[in-house]
Amino acid sequence: MIDNGLLVQMLLGALLGLSVYLPLSAGQLSLATPAFYAVGGTLAALLSTRWSALGATAAGSLPPASFLLVLILGGLLAGGLAVVVGQLVLRLRGIYLAISTIALVEIVRVAILNLPFTGGAVGIFSIPQPFSEAGGYLVPALAMLGLTAALCHRLETLPLGRAMGAIREDELAARCMGIDTTRVKLIAFVISAVVAGSTGALAAHFLNTWNARQGSFDVSVTTLAFVILGGSRTWLGPVAGGLLLTALPELLRPVGDVRLVVFGLVILLGPVIFPGGLVTTGLLERLGRSFVPRRHSASEVR
Amino acid sequence: MTQPPLLELQEITCRFGGLVALDRVSFSVHSGEIFGLIGPNGAGKTTLFNLISGVTVASAGKVCWRGESILALPPHRRNRLGMARTFQNLRLFDRLTVLENLMATMQRQPSSERERLRSAWQLLEELGLIQLADRDAGTLAYGDRRRLEIARALATRPKLLLLDEPAAGLNPSEKDGLCRLISALRSRHQLTVMVIEHHVPLLMRLCDRMAVLDFGVRIALGSPEQIRHDPRVIEAYLGGAV
Repeated sequence: MIDNGLLVQMLLGALLGLSVYLPLSAGQLSLATPAFYAVGGTLAALLSTRWSALGATAAGSLPPASFLLVLILGGLLAGGLAVVVGQLVLRLRGIYLAISTIALVEIVRVAILNLPFTGGAVGIFSIPQPFSEAGGYLVPALAMLGLTAALCHRLETLPLGRAMGAIREDELAARCMGIDTTRVKLIAFVISAVVAGSTGALAAHFLNTWNARQGSFDVSVTTLAFVILGGSRTWLGPVAGGLLLTALPELLRPVGDVRLVVFGLVILLGPVIFPGGLVTTGLLERLGRSFVPRRHSASEVR
Repeated sequence: MTQPPLLELQEITCRFGGLVALDRVSFSVHSGEIFGLIGPNGAGKTTLFNLISGVTVASAGKVCWRGESILALPPHRRNRLGMARTFQNLRLFDRLTVLENLMATMQRQPSSERERLRSAWQLLEELGLIQLADRDAGTLAYGDRRRLEIARALATRPKLLLLDEPAAGLNPSEKDGLCRLISALRSRHQLTVMVIEHHVPLLMRLCDRMAVLDFGVRIALGSPEQIRHDPRVIEAYLGGAV
């Protein structure tokens, strides 16, 4: 039932979940992830189809080193865009930030749809592939997820991650305690964009075709649902949410057409049944303290 | 006495629309003293704290730190200069643990995680919070929350500690304890302390000097003894003779 293709998509879902989670853990409800995902994917599609130095063959294959380079460039472009956009939108708070990031998603979508070199409604197709089958993408997708998760995990015990937590709890108090909230929020936003951009670059190759619909408002809602259903207190939440919610529509295929209704019900009832998400700090503490590095015990110091 | 005061307010005015919250308030706070700020409700005490910590922008006047104007600095830069505050209506990081509340504010120093932990642990011990280190701040009892806010402010290693009604909601014996604590913290951390407090007897015992605000105007400044006998203060608190 779960083939390699779906596994890759699940991993991409988890990555996008983490991209939404990062600003959210600094208290910033940004829905800009699909915009950066689309930017990364579009750049990757353009580079791989047009830049001959990358060494794409006529048969549609791409050397792994070029693929890696494109992933990095996709992340960098998205990150660069986030530096510029972030300085503007991060002045806003709460739902105002959410609305302005939705606007960004729309702007990017319409731009990709109308720019002369992005292929219009059809998009860019026959994107060269580094792997001959879907399973090949598992390695880079797993590596990216591992890297991003490790970063999120490490953040929890770094001053930057702690500052993000403080801002989430009370931004004014954080400012008065010497935390440069503007800078911290921007860093979280940029890391989130880099993750989304690289994920987009990977997805563009995996899907073989790329168009403006990849980064739409729908994706904003879905990726937010990953975090809400999975839980936003630790990085494991969005990973679990991303994996599950990406797999669910496929797993429900035997149910027939009502599967989308069931999918909707899961999103609707999930937060009612699990108010803090599936993965909460309470759950982790029950599973064992090793998962929760943030909590220091007295014995550690003495 | 050539050294400039630690903190100096010059003709500070703050207007909110048509309301003058502070009207040309001036005074200095010197290194090492405990300086009290009293006044009836709405006198502008908290507004004054907000101006000093950079949360609110002054309409006119100057705030100087060791003789240099700090008006252009945002709150986090002022904190790094060496001032830290507490809030009248407690603003802890509720879903972080007690220990994390302190760790989160230690951004620059100490530089190693080990030192940060040690220093946080010391502060918790000093403020009697050590048993609560792993609890979420939001679950603490009121008095503990008050002390945690002081501990969090101290974790940023301030020279000037601004306490906004630290005794509010405490019972008389807790108030006495707080009084002793503030004196002890001052000497142990070489602090200068500014306190807003409604409980005048507590301030009279604690402070070296105090200022009285009434409707945004500084009506008195001096030692507790001078304040006690100042006719304008008596009038503001007890009402004038008709």
